Amino acid sequence: MIIKGGIVYDPTNGIFGEEMDIFLEKGKVVEEAKGKEIDARGLLVMPGGVDAHAHVAGTKVNTGRIMRPEDARSGLEPKTKLLRPCTGYTVPNCYAIGYRYARMGYTTVFEAATPIIESRHTHEELEEIPIVDKGALTLFGSNWEVLECVRDDDLDKLAAYVAWGLRASRGYGVKVVNPGGGEAWGFGTNVKGLDDPVPNFDTTPREIIRGLVKANEMLNLPHSVHLHTNNLGKPGNYTTVLDTMDTVKDITSTRDRQVLHVTHMQFSSYGGTGWRDFESEAPQIAEYFNRNDHVTMDMGQMIFGNATTMTADGPLEYNNARLLHAKWSNHDIELEDSSGVVPLVYGRKMPVNAIQWAIGLELALLTESPWKTLLTTDHPNGGPFVNYPEVITLLMSKAKREEEMATLHELVAKRTVLPTIERELDWGDIAVMTRAAPAKVLGLAEKGHLGVGADADVTVYDLRPEKIDPARDHKRVKEALGRVKYTIKGGEVVVRDGEIVAVPRGRTYWVDASVPEKDAERVQVDLVEKFEKYYSIQKSNYMVQDAYVTDPVVVKAGVI
Amino acid sequence: MIVEDVICPFCGCLCDDIRVEVEDNKITKVNRACRLGASKIRGHERIKAPMVREDGELVETSYEEAYQRAAQILYQAKRPLLYGWCSTVCEAHKKGILLAEEVGGVIDSTATVCHGPSIIGIEEKGLAGATLGQVKNRADLIVFWGSNPAEAHPRHSLRYSTNVRGKFTEGGRSEKKMIVVDVRKTRSSRNADKFLRIRPGTDYEVISALRMIVGGNGDLLPERVAGISKDDLVDMAEMMKAARFGAFFFGLGLTHSRGSYKNIDNSLSLVNELNSHTKFMIMPMRGHYNVGGFGQVCAWETGYPMAVDFSRGIPYFNPGETAACDVLANGEADAALVVAADPASNFPWSVVEKLAEIPVVQIDPFENPTTLISDVVIPSAVAGVEVEGTAYRMDGLPLRMKKLVTSSYPSDEEVLDGIIKEVRRLGDDN
Amino acid sequence: MREITIVPLQEFEVPLEAENIRPDIFATLSLEEIRDLEVWEGNRRRYLSDLFSVAGNDGTGECLIRLDGDFSRVKRIGEGMREGEILVRGNIGMRAGSGMRGGSINIEGDAGDWLGREMRGGSISVKGNAGNYVGSRYWGERCGMRGGEIEIEGSAGAYLGDHICGGQIKVKGDAGDFPGASNRGGAITIGGDAHLPGAEMVSGTIVVKGRARVLPSYGFQETAEIEGQLLWKFVGDLVEKGKGELYVALVEDDGQLDK
Ligand code: SF4
Ligand SMILES: [Zn+2]
Repeated sequence: MIIKGGIVYDPTNGIFGEEMDIFLEKGKVVEEAKGKEIDARGLLVMPGGVDAHAHVAGTKVNTGRIMRPEDARSGLEPKTKLLRPCTGYTVPNCYAIGYRYARMGYTTVFEAATPIIESRHTHEELEEIPIVDKGALTLFGSNWEVLECVRDDDLDKLAAYVAWGLRASRGYGVKVVNPGGGEAWGFGTNVKGLDDPVPNFDTTPREIIRGLVKANEMLNLPHSVHLHTNNLGKPGNYTTVLDTMDTVKDITSTRDRQVLHVTHMQFSSYGGTGWRDFESEAPQIAEYFNRNDHVTMDMGQMIFGNATTMTADGPLEYNNARLLHAKWSNHDIELEDSSGVVPLVYGRKMPVNAIQWAIGLELALLTESPWKTLLTTDHPNGGPFVNYPEVITLLMSKAKREEEMATLHELVAKRTVLPTIERELDWGDIAVMTRAAPAKVLGLAEKGHLGVGADADVTVYDLRPEKIDPARDHKRVKEALGRVKYTIKGGEVVVRDGEIVAVPRGRTYWVDASVPEKDAERVQVDLVEKFEKYYSIQKSNYMVQDAYVTDPVVVKAGVI
Repeated sequence: MIVEDVICPFCGCLCDDIRVEVEDNKITKVNRACRLGASKIRGHERIKAPMVREDGELVETSYEEAYQRAAQILYQAKRPLLYGWCSTVCEAHKKGILLAEEVGGVIDSTATVCHGPSIIGIEEKGLAGATLGQVKNRADLIVFWGSNPAEAHPRHSLRYSTNVRGKFTEGGRSEKKMIVVDVRKTRSSRNADKFLRIRPGTDYEVISALRMIVGGNGDLLPERVAGISKDDLVDMAEMMKAARFGAFFFGLGLTHSRGSYKNIDNSLSLVNELNSHTKFMIMPMRGHYNVGGFGQVCAWETGYPMAVDFSRGIPYFNPGETAACDVLANGEADAALVVAADPASNFPWSVVEKLAEIPVVQIDPFENPTTLISDVVIPSAVAGVEVEGTAYRMDGLPLRMKKLVTSSYPSDEEVLDGIIKEVRRLGDDN
Repeated sequence: MREITIVPLQEFEVPLEAENIRPDIFATLSLEEIRDLEVWEGNRRRYLSDLFSVAGNDGTGECLIRLDGDFSRVKRIGEGMREGEILVRGNIGMRAGSGMRGGSINIEGDAGDWLGREMRGGSISVKGNAGNYVGSRYWGERCGMRGGEIEIEGSAGAYLGDHICGGQIKVKGDAGDFPGASNRGGAITIGGDAHLPGAEMVSGTIVVKGRARVLPSYGFQETAEIEGQLLWKFVGDLVEKGKGELYVALVEDDGQLDK
């Protein structure tokens, strides 16, 4: 296949708006190929989009669906000869997830959190999500084995456990949520800062983060530790984040990537001492990123309207529910973590929400390098992923930001600096934030670019970058971003003129990391005891079987 | 051959430590399972071959013929109901939902006669839950409300709740408190530290009274609530607040007494509010081993956990209208497919009569009273004994059921696939 | 006003969904176009004229729809209507007038479940009985009926006005279990008996002129006279820190329950 004459943005390969042809063959980008031609003359062409952080599969997501029949009343699309029926806005069904990503030109999405013991469920849903490639990040922040290894300062064993946990969950990377807090929540308490001891385990969040980051690098994993910080969602939490990032600064990454990815930074960039004097500290965070290169973040942009918050941060969700008198689901996971789900509505006239909205944008606009700030909404926590076109246009158009701000609570002008920001991102920046950078941050060599050997995942937008000014024509741009001209996945046209025309199955990435035999054995000794005494299932029934990952991409890593 | 760590395909406890001896492709011994589980694993007499009703009699036929007849019935129906699913694996559920889409039917699980009200309660309030291992390791107070685990979930107490030891519950039963609330004495209530016997149909009021006490408004309560003394209720509320970790399990005694989903709604709020004093979780005692799994699959495939109406090509959900019992009781269904369930035994008689009036296709390994009113009967392999697949425990934890012996019968999934193919062929012909 | 009369051509084996039977839709259509409107017979898409005879004034304009015959298996009539009138000379099926915003539906027979679900305005009257969930919310939503009026001469089923947030419901006869649950500003009057009214009510009023069992989470305040009748006034539901007003003529006590 040849994609002819597009205006290509491929930041990984230093290509920013060059007219060129792209050749695809057997699912890969190649030097030269024959076959079907796609007429992309003058149109904006990018690699397929990569979402490095969204909640799209597993217990939390399905809990959201089950407790929100009202959400499934929207987003209805009937069954067709080709497509399964779709429901939902914040918690769409599996088919809607695949189709909607594809229609926006996205071809890869990573589920942000799966507890090992329930990963079978996560994979059952990932398998049902059509078209896109996917993977899942495994939770390690409160696992008893992790807490004990960290307490005993036994990094070799910790690394061996992480390797085993990734295999057991068929997971791709190390996710840490409110480290230590998941365990504390088992008895209804929380950890309040990096040095607040985890009850009954004689360790601290700081030690857990440092231990896991070191183990992650010992294992040479493709992705870094992916962290949801302590105190997330609380006023004044920006100091926790700054401290957290500093605490891993001395650890060197073994790969060409960050040593820590701090996720949905919007929820961690808060100033003030409470909700009354709540304000943005995004400038401080951005400043830190401008001075340091060991960390990356994603926005976690908030979108006004309905959201369903869902996270392994159980205590956070409990507090949300009490504050808002909202429905509350909680799900604590034996020996591993906690989690919660709370639906909510972000209101334009709510001072806190208006400020949160501005913070996400400030982070992306004040951080100089787009390589450090991935575009996410922390779907569906900040809002559903279908709003990415909205976020992109906000970043590209000051005029649009001003239009929006005029409809918000006036505190947005006093408690944030957004009104003073002139910067308007260009297509190169957007291609970085939605393709090149997420792939690099995740360590996916064949994603997010169009160099020879890359996966044949391509987006062709119905936009002529040479003719259209996104700063002015943001309405038109938003429309085109939501309904692409073509999405090509693995060399196959899956979307044409905004409609799904083919529904291939996606593949699932997971990481198989090797460790020294003796460490693996020491972990097994611990685990045998844990299963005998504490788990409610047998060890032999724990690990996700191959049957649940029918089209795997196994990435090798490890120490030998 | 000995197969270890077999998962029991009977109740929602989904015990995964069963030891099964197999000789010559026959199960000869079952260890560790309770009697309910053991008898399910051992099995009993099977439906021998597919059957179709001719002149009022069920006569044996081929699978092909049975698939065709089943497909015709479902394809021609204007409002087919696809019901059951509690005793088979998720792989079959997926096919069932696909078939429901293809024939524009209503699909629902046996939740309609068990924990459907619980799900509706959750839709109102959410559910403060946890895995059963969390209960094992932490719970020092366990409440069973309208549920009798000693009879219905025999190993629950030993594996997960009152009589198990865990990390923070090393003392076992002696360090735990157990409260039973029920309308009658049960085998479970005999072992309780506190037994609150309430009058039938007063659950909601009693729960409201407990919420009043937990919320600090006990002084506004009358001296007796639904016949129970206020002191008794205060005592129970204090026990719950004093727990380090409380677990509230409820059964059909709460979901199917007067008040129905409102009882669950109120219980969920009670537990929610207890969390401002201590840690508390709540869980329905799911009956059949994989009725929970159907809810999961249905939710991720359609957005709703049960009672989904595909008649217009878009999922529509409205228990009270689209649940299996509604569709039958209101005389809406004009054909039914029953998979891995026995509505003829579990539905009220008036509803069974309606079912008997319409063509029924049954897929099941075993004959049951539903067979008697079926027009096409398709025997299948026993999921979890002869077929592998996924099941979800009552706490939502997924496990992979094992295949212990090889069967000559097709799996439920294969049967459904056969019917789907025939339905599609009919669609292409027209 | 233009009148259109619709009569079923047959008994319906499976229920129909006919949300197009709606005066403000008819208002812009000719008779021929009305006959071509879509209805669903179970999973089959049909024309209105396949299943009903449609007669009346041609041309366009504000519309009175007369439904003659048994419509008890026809669902969604008048759903979302904003103006005009529907007159039912018989029974009507589920979800009639749900999400209705204006106009009126007058039913001479009985109404099915979910009558006036999530209604926002207009009026519905029923000469006979109504089913469950009158004026209620859809599952998981916070609000049922928000405005308008529903009047039922007979009795209503369970869950009357569940999550009602505004508007008025009057039932001359009895209501079933849990009327006015989670009331947040609606007004419900029940001429006869009810069971556990006002569960989790936050605001609004419920009047039960007959007998009712009152939740223990209600505080007794005083006696009050309403329409010449002396009633007990309670406030609740206190489990939700509610300030709803509940008036009951005869409070069912435990003794009565025992019988
Ligand atoms: S308790 Fe339930 S799952 Fe366990 S062995 Fe008995 S029947 Fe099987
Ligand atoms: Zn997240």
